[in-house]
Amino acid sequence: MSSTKGRSAARRRSFLRPAGYAWIFPTLIFCVGLLYYSVGYTGYISTLDWNGSAPNPTSVGSANYARAFTDPVFWLAIQHTVISFVVTFTISTVLGFVFAALLHSRPFFGGVYKVVLFVPVVLAPAIMAPVFRQIFANGGQFNWLLTHIGLGGLAQPWLAQSGTALGVILAITIWGGTGVTFILYFAAMGQIDPELLEAAELDGAGNIRRLVSIIWPNVRGTTVALATLSAIGALKTFDIPYLVTTGGPNFATEFLGTLIYRTSIPLGAVGYGAALSILLLVIALIMAIVMNAGRAKREGRADA
Amino acid sequence: MFAIRTSRRRPVSAAAAVIALGLTAGLLSGCSSPSDANAGGDSATKGSINWWGWTPEIGVGKQYIAAFNKVYPNIKVTYKQVATASYDAAIRPALASSVGPDVFNIAPGGGIGSIQAYQGSAVDLTPVVSKALGSNWKSKVAAIGPAGLTTTSGKLAALSVGSTFAGSVWINPTMFAKYNLTPPKTFSEWVSVCKAFAAKGATCFEQGAGDNGFNQDLLHAIADSIKPGVWTKAVAGKVKWTDPTLVKAMTVFKSMFGDGIIQKGAVGVQQYPDVNNDFLAGKTAMVMMGTWYMQYSTKAGATAAVSAAGVANAKPFPMVSIPFPDVTGAGNPAPLFGDADYGLAVNNKSKHQKAAETFVTWLGTNEAAQQVVANSLNDISALTSVSPKFDAITLVDSSQQRSTLQALISSASKISEPRLGDVGTALGQAIGVAVSSVAAGNATPTAALTTLQSASKG
Repeated sequence: MSSTKGRSAARRRSFLRPAGYAWIFPTLIFCVGLLYYSVGYTGYISTLDWNGSAPNPTSVGSANYARAFTDPVFWLAIQHTVISFVVTFTISTVLGFVFAALLHSRPFFGGVYKVVLFVPVVLAPAIMAPVFRQIFANGGQFNWLLTHIGLGGLAQPWLAQSGTALGVILAITIWGGTGVTFILYFAAMGQIDPELLEAAELDGAGNIRRLVSIIWPNVRGTTVALATLSAIGALKTFDIPYLVTTGGPNFATEFLGTLIYRTSIPLGAVGYGAALSILLLVIALIMAIVMNAGRAKREGRADA
Repeated sequence: MFAIRTSRRRPVSAAAAVIALGLTAGLLSGCSSPSDANAGGDSATKGSINWWGWTPEIGVGKQYIAAFNKVYPNIKVTYKQVATASYDAAIRPALASSVGPDVFNIAPGGGIGSIQAYQGSAVDLTPVVSKALGSNWKSKVAAIGPAGLTTTSGKLAALSVGSTFAGSVWINPTMFAKYNLTPPKTFSEWVSVCKAFAAKGATCFEQGAGDNGFNQDLLHAIADSIKPGVWTKAVAGKVKWTDPTLVKAMTVFKSMFGDGIIQKGAVGVQQYPDVNNDFLAGKTAMVMMGTWYMQYSTKAGATAAVSAAGVANAKPFPMVSIPFPDVTGAGNPAPLFGDADYGLAVNNKSKHQKAAETFVTWLGTNEAAQQVVANSLNDISALTSVSPKFDAITLVDSSQQRSTLQALISSASKISEPRLGDVGTALGQAIGVAVSSVAAGNATPTAALTTLQSASKG
């Protein structure tokens, strides 16, 4: 016992040897020097009226933050972020869970289905954006399909209307993200004790009942992790709306990421863009704290 | 055991630390190496300078530099073309640093490379231009150049290399001939032509209504065809955006969507690359583009452009410009409006300002240089004494194109009405919101212009 203690103490000491610092130094420089310095510098810039290159920026205190709270586009971006989180998380979860359950029933060509479901995850949005712009254009393949299945009345310029553009963006996001949801659920379902499922079957539970009462509660940890990932994804949304609709029409697909970019780069309001970035950071931190607190509470209940 | 291990590892660890530090220092100092390359004294005839711009194309840029080096062989110019969409993202931090380019593009107005955003980093070029062309230099260059590149305090922030003008419509004569149709001159003819194209399953006119700058061009052209100059006055705040001319222009703009002139779903389409590619690929018969499209009149330019639009075995077609149709029947001359395409500015932090000024002045004021600019047909040359030498230019079909090109260049050279030069960044965004609201059917012309008027006051 004392020998084990001695070994672990020696191991702890060895991690604290000066040689260890040499190895972590580059990472330390990058993390502290770039990341935290950048966050601090962005905080400073957020108090300026500055175009990003002028030699004499003006200090405006908290005016950029006040401007954000009265900017309707900022609130629109927040609204789209919330909608994106709720819709993409809900639909991806349902689809991923169902696909995972179906593929656990060992269908023919199960391996092929897995690949097909996962391929969208590895395709870069920059490559797929022009494809989706073509598919959802007025003369695109989606309207062609609708027309050829007798639903021509529904054909419309999907990306050109404020009422439909966000729906298309969310559909593309779900298409690109369901593969990850599926893989995580598939792995989680593999961890469920088969005897539990057999017992339920012996008790007369059907497929749906087993899915709802046995499998779903047993993959709750995965669902919570996916909720966190979806929330982070919604806050970080940039590539798909920027590449497919450039945030339009009329800010209908504006997210915090696209708003920050448009404000800082094309509009040259770097101070205001920095304030929006800090607000995004604050929202992300609040979200992380809330989710961690929720998880700790659940784990506390489970331990009790 | 412990002592032996540590003593054996220390030299390795020390080496690792040195390597790690070296790598870190190397990575962190990677950005600063260009300044070392630029080290040396400042001379008007010797040095190495970097030029960043979104235009001209890299091949044209090399032509300019090659011609320059025949006169100034000891000034090495390295041109870096930055994608249009990335230019502001690249140039802003570069100019804020001490290692930015020596020469950089800026443009009039509040769009890409805006003079409003970057004039603070540019030196005043008035003394060098006066030295090159004399004190009456303004009489020797197109007025539209210095007009858009001079700050409100009178600093000439950049020197125009050439100008571009919008307001014209470009057509594919092959498509018109195929369906036995005539280019429209009035609104009703435009509607009829588009119906005829639609009946044949072809697209008549495409507009990238998701692209604010090109929507402004279309609305500006309509407004000028009703009453020339009102748009420019509204931009300057001298006329309200709710002026009857502008309300009528916006109403005509809206009816272009309803009457089938502009394609369905236009609000979800960008002028570049969508509309440009469709026109060059022969999928649409008409587009609203400016004089920068002249470069595709040449056989080489058209072949490259058609190929770049995704057409296999590209065969160029003889595109020509037509006057903007008289959409309101007011009988006014077809509108044209323009700005310096871009100006070359000298970075006030450059260690080679004199060499940079030599290059900029040569390209903007030297007749031989301006002849290269004129013959490329990308810009209309800044020097009024220079025009393209068509005998040295191979057009796709000279019989169809040469006279229309000459007419376009001739009419453009008389224009002083700015295109985007007076439109600030915030006003540009407000106009964009108003126009796209009407285009998408979310607001009436009057309501959109009332909102624009209140936004432009703020």
